[in-house]
Amino acid sequence: MNGLWRRRLWRALLSLGVLAVLYGIASQIGSALLPRRIWMVAHYIEDVELLPPYASLLEEAVFLVKSGILPRSILVSTARVLEGLALGAAVGVPLGLSMARVARLEWLLDPWVTFFRFTPALALLPLYALWFGLGELSKILLIATAVAVVTLLGAYQGVRDVPRVYLEAAKSLGASDGLILRKIVWPAALPQILSSVRIALGLAWVTVVVAELIKATMPSLGYLLALAGAYPRVSTIAVGIVTIGVLVLACDAAALGLYAMATRWMKRSPADA
Amino acid sequence: MPEPRRRRLEMRDVVHVYEGKTATRALDGVSLDVHDNEFLAIVGPVGSGKTTLVRIVAGFLRPTSGVVLCDGAPVTGPGPERGYVFQEEAIFPWMSVRDNLGFGLLAKGVVASEREKIVAELVRLIGLEGYEGAYPKELSGGMSKMVEVARVLATDPAILLLDEPFGLLDAQTRSKMQDQLSLLWEEKRKTVILVTHDVEEAIYLADRVVVFTPRPGRIKVEVTVDLPRPRSLETRFSPAFLALKRSIWKEIGRA
Amino acid sequence: MRLDDAARPPKARRVWLGLASVVALVAAYTLLSNAYRVVDPSLLPDPLRGLLRPQILPPTQRIVDAFVQLVGAGAPLAGGADLHPGDHIGGLVEQRVTLQGSLLVSTYRVLIGLAVGGSLGILAGLLMGWSRAVDEYVHPIYILFRSVPPLALITYVMLWLGHGTAHLLIPIIYAVFATVVIPTYHGVRDVADVYVKAARALGAGGRLLLSRVMLPAASPFVLAGLRYALVIAWMTTVGVEMLMGDDGVGYLLIGGGLWSSRLEVAGDPAVIVVGIVGLALVGYAMDVGVRVAGDRLTQWVKR
Repeated sequence: MNGLWRRRLWRALLSLGVLAVLYGIASQIGSALLPRRIWMVAHYIEDVELLPPYASLLEEAVFLVKSGILPRSILVSTARVLEGLALGAAVGVPLGLSMARVARLEWLLDPWVTFFRFTPALALLPLYALWFGLGELSKILLIATAVAVVTLLGAYQGVRDVPRVYLEAAKSLGASDGLILRKIVWPAALPQILSSVRIALGLAWVTVVVAELIKATMPSLGYLLALAGAYPRVSTIAVGIVTIGVLVLACDAAALGLYAMATRWMKRSPADA
Repeated sequence: MPEPRRRRLEMRDVVHVYEGKTATRALDGVSLDVHDNEFLAIVGPVGSGKTTLVRIVAGFLRPTSGVVLCDGAPVTGPGPERGYVFQEEAIFPWMSVRDNLGFGLLAKGVVASEREKIVAELVRLIGLEGYEGAYPKELSGGMSKMVEVARVLATDPAILLLDEPFGLLDAQTRSKMQDQLSLLWEEKRKTVILVTHDVEEAIYLADRVVVFTPRPGRIKVEVTVDLPRPRSLETRFSPAFLALKRSIWKEIGRA
Repeated sequence: MRLDDAARPPKARRVWLGLASVVALVAAYTLLSNAYRVVDPSLLPDPLRGLLRPQILPPTQRIVDAFVQLVGAGAPLAGGADLHPGDHIGGLVEQRVTLQGSLLVSTYRVLIGLAVGGSLGILAGLLMGWSRAVDEYVHPIYILFRSVPPLALITYVMLWLGHGTAHLLIPIIYAVFATVVIPTYHGVRDVADVYVKAARALGAGGRLLLSRVMLPAASPFVLAGLRYALVIAWMTTVGVEMLMGDDGVGYLLIGGGLWSSRLEVAGDPAVIVVGIVGLALVGYAMDVGVRVAGDRLTQWVKR
């Protein structure tokens, strides 16, 4: 087992290393061959590095960190993602649970859940901007909407998939509905709920990048990207993209860790990636 | 055996029809009494409605017509006085062995210290000392089945309903479980209904075996098993045992 | 959840209850959005004063009017310019932007994304599931790329490809690709593997193994992945169109690129609602299509 993982790690490092070296070579060739003047719709833009070499990337990263722009943007955007996630899950999970338990509620809400399921959350952005203003509220509500839909479906399916035998066993042992909800339904549905939270987290990052373009102000990753794109400064774009990528990766790893912790009781299938 | 024995459970003309695209008549007027401290086994082919009947007794299903009385009161739903052991794995995988065993007591509102005492006793009874904190995934199939049986016994039910409890186990484990169940019964003397398709298991464990017909289920014949207790491996090869087995197989074959 | 299946009420009641809840909410909205005719909004307390205006909560009949206008079936909307200062509808009608036209353009983008991104994703998933070596070398790179939200790439892509058709499509393709890989991979590695071994033992190999065993065995997972990718593709399509589109539903909603207009949103809520309802309907229809086609392809699956 140990040797297997060592080989995996080794191969992973090797392929990532090769990728990094290839980029380094490409950027060197690119700086000689690629055009530095690019026609953009109505005008030329000058001094474009389509494949910025590591030196420019590093320089840019150092500048963005030292000036405090990047750290503050990270904090602001991450806070929005987490607030939206908390709010959305706080609405979605209980709703999904109750819809799965109460048939009448399910039938009543079913058309609306279907409607929101097939409405891309981003399409609500202009409406939210109009209703809730151009400030913080619309951004967080937009993320929360995307999260709520996904977690609602996860919680609903999680409860529906609880094997009937557990419910019957609990009932015949004399458990009340409250006890069944706390000790049977909730733990049995939790893995699926956490999986949906993990998906929702990824979606929240997709949403925040666009939501931060509503009346954009500076410390925010979405606007950093927009601004860098407007100039355009490729090295800034690249640092922004890498930053978001790392944050998404970190969030995903955290969600996966939480999932693993909460499902220690499960029989493991072959390692999930 | 004390005579006359008290009737624990009465089934009167129980009929069950599964609704669906084509209505299926699973039970066709079954009347059956189960006495206090009696071990009754129901055998029959797949689809003879034997599981349907115990599910009705448990309160998971409502009979289409007819009535089931437990200690004189009609059964309206599941309850802890009728402990049920499932064919499927019904041990709660997210709870430790200890919490599984204590669940019925928790539902009953028994205080933690008292709960602990009863659970410790049960753990000893099924020989799982040292596994109290383990998750079910660490147990073998036979062990987790035994936890399920003990979990039901924790609240001291009047009746034990066993729906093919060892159906998913391999032959060796099965026979070991049967011995363990037999010992358990000697100690507790509960009223038991065991549903099984294994004729040998039925004879080995029960005082009385009821044979069901194929769909729709009806009682075909009742056989009293007066083999001496406690039973052991020797019992399985005694002429009386084999004679009973032969006669029951004949009844089934004549369907 | 129900302990007693027989106690389940008939399906008809489900339909009625769903219908009733739609009608009730639409009716409630109609009353609320028309309240400004009865009560002077400026007399109301603060959050209501802002909300109960036709510019914010468009009355239902105005949404219907906007729909008729955008389908291109009606006369110019009377008072459109009064109610909405930007005259969003007027602008769209002048540019001959219709709802169905916009939906068609967006659907086209979604389909391209599914076709290109889907095939690439399935191919990558198959390779990664098929060969352990490929998996171990490629998976880390995949995880790296998957972590980047596709919409964040759009400006960079535009620098390479210019402001045209392709730069809108790349993020959609990318998003679909990233979504489809993992379900395919799991389908091949965790499910098809048993059957592949069995088929190998029976002497099958090469193309036969791939087309008759591995692909069918993995197909339920691939289809589930495609269904989810459909949602992601629509999300990304609307996103790129809102940011930089000259057409499509995303453009219809915003009335000008979110990017170029320096991020001030000034859409007419009636148009936005029409656009959203259109999106939901087309998204739903496409999902039903994929599901029905998928069920046909995988009739052998126990359901």
